Amino acid sequence: MAWIVKNSAEMTIERREEPYLDDQMKKELEAEVLPRFPTRQAATLPVLHAIQEKHNWLPYQALEETADFLGLKPSDVLDTATFYEEFFLQPKGRYLIQVCQSISCELRNHDALLEGISRKLGIQPGQTTTDGKFTLMTVECLGSCGTAPCALVQGRLHEDVRFEDFEKALDSLPHEDGRPDTPASERA
Amino acid sequence: MALQEPVLTQRIPTPPFGDPADRKLIRHEQYVASGGYAALRKAMEHEPKEIIETVKISELRGRGGAGFPAGLKWSFLPPQDGEPRYLAINADESEPGTFKDRLLIDFDPHLLLEGIAICMHACQLDTAYIYIRGEYHHQAKVLEQAIAEAYDNKIFGPGTIMGKVNDRDPRCFVHRGAGAYICGEETGLLESLEGKRGWPRIKPPFPAVAGAFGRPTIINNVETLAAVVPIIMRGPDWFKSMGVKRPEGAPPTAPASYGPKLYGVSGHVNRPGVYEEELGIRLGDLIENYCGGMLNGKKFKAAVPGGISMGVLGTDQYDAVLDFEVGRKYACLGLGTAGVIVMDEDTDMVAMARNIARFFSHESCGQCTPCREGSGWIYKTLCRIEQGDGTTRDLDMLLELAGSMGAMPGTTICGLADGTNWAVRTILNKFWDEFESRVAKSSSVALPVLTH
Repeated sequence: MAWIVKNSAEMTIERREEPYLDDQMKKELEAEVLPRFPTRQAATLPVLHAIQEKHNWLPYQALEETADFLGLKPSDVLDTATFYEEFFLQPKGRYLIQVCQSISCELRNHDALLEGISRKLGIQPGQTTTDGKFTLMTVECLGSCGTAPCALVQGRLHEDVRFEDFEKALDSLPHEDGRPDTPASERA
Repeated sequence: MALQEPVLTQRIPTPPFGDPADRKLIRHEQYVASGGYAALRKAMEHEPKEIIETVKISELRGRGGAGFPAGLKWSFLPPQDGEPRYLAINADESEPGTFKDRLLIDFDPHLLLEGIAICMHACQLDTAYIYIRGEYHHQAKVLEQAIAEAYDNKIFGPGTIMGKVNDRDPRCFVHRGAGAYICGEETGLLESLEGKRGWPRIKPPFPAVAGAFGRPTIINNVETLAAVVPIIMRGPDWFKSMGVKRPEGAPPTAPASYGPKLYGVSGHVNRPGVYEEELGIRLGDLIENYCGGMLNGKKFKAAVPGGISMGVLGTDQYDAVLDFEVGRKYACLGLGTAGVIVMDEDTDMVAMARNIARFFSHESCGQCTPCREGSGWIYKTLCRIEQGDGTTRDLDMLLELAGSMGAMPGTTICGLADGTNWAVRTILNKFWDEFESRVAKSSSVALPVLTH
């Protein structure tokens, strides 16, 4: 959360020529999102979501571009981006696995699920596999308490999961780059 | 007492009226074919003030946790001044144990949109933002699609059946959060909507006077707005035929618990899920009649009445009546969101307390010191007790720590810390023996200086 601060004074920002927030995205956001709000700052979350959806994480350069686009100070955008758990300021794996660890899932044995995934992928929660395919995270309640235990894989909800089924679902994800091609509407 | 017909779940098959396997997304066409948007048309025949009055008479209380009378909230708005006024719909359902709004959004999004439209007309609000939690990816898409259908069918946008609202074309948008429980607190939600970190604001001013972008704003829960639709259609008297009446002799200002409610049951029951019942169902009936009894025939040990911030009901409170009075009667905080979490006899209450404390510690926004620091220390202390290194003194310290944090003791801005406070204290008080026996076995020497 926001109060876990890091020394940013000596931070170096890696830069690249090509902008993360490109002109096409800007055009779309300008037409679709910005008219919704009376202030430009209000579009911060939608803009960050859009960048993260495209690039899978939020590099500092992207935050600067967002600030520039919305007429804010980079620190304002950093302030917002660091507060929310779903914004990744470090690269994450191709597929993000979020396992719910809240009370209903604990009652329904989420431990077995988490341990199974951890063992299979050889990583602890918070880590990314060396091939960059998976990042494992534990998160608080995913709003699926009636069908616990549950986990999200790149935005797709798996309910009432046993590790054996979940393992198959993970194995079926393509290795190469490209979207998982599994629309969120098709639930496991 | 039992619900005669499904109300909010009219189009969502739910036992005992239908089979959950038959659930499917209701599109605009099917929604209209089954009587949808009739309440909005009916509302349009009335003056905005009359709609507010109807909702007031129905005594609909907010379904988001606090139970504040919705009609009263609507009446706090200042007179129109020609500038924009907003509606924020709280779909940031993040409280562990709560998954009822998701059901409505998953299958019957137009019910919510109709409620939104009625509220916009009644309160003369021109723009609605549905603030949905970031983790609800699928639900955000469902809502986007439903809103697009609503625009196409002249519910929102230019030239709608609502005409001009507050001299503007009514608009409705989905706004996705990004994983922060605190954004379910109404002013935290507004801050997040404005593109800032979700730090709750000091009140007053209340959002009805100065909310989103400094303008008058109404914030309602998804289920509250969904409940407005049948109230408009069938009248407040019908609505008040369900639920629990005010006790004899109570003043008319004392809030009662009328209407149907979605109960989301999870944990150690055979058929967990969301069930609709009148307010005031007995916990035991909910478990036995709807959820198929306790899992594996085990005995009941404890239950959370409505999202973990409400505390727990003890083993002897199996007969608790789940209405808005539950807090006063059974020594917990209240009904909350009616997300009931049932625990069986084998449940380790120390582990439960640890899980709950971790949630609040993790989700504290960090603004107020008692909550930020207190929840962390409570979590660490409970971890230590769970590992068998706790001391008797720790238990007293937990009670003291928990009791000192929250908006009710007056040490924090919002109610998140009250959740920590009540959850930890009720578990400790109601299962004191369990905690005591755990620390009695401890081998650690109680040196106060080295407590942490």
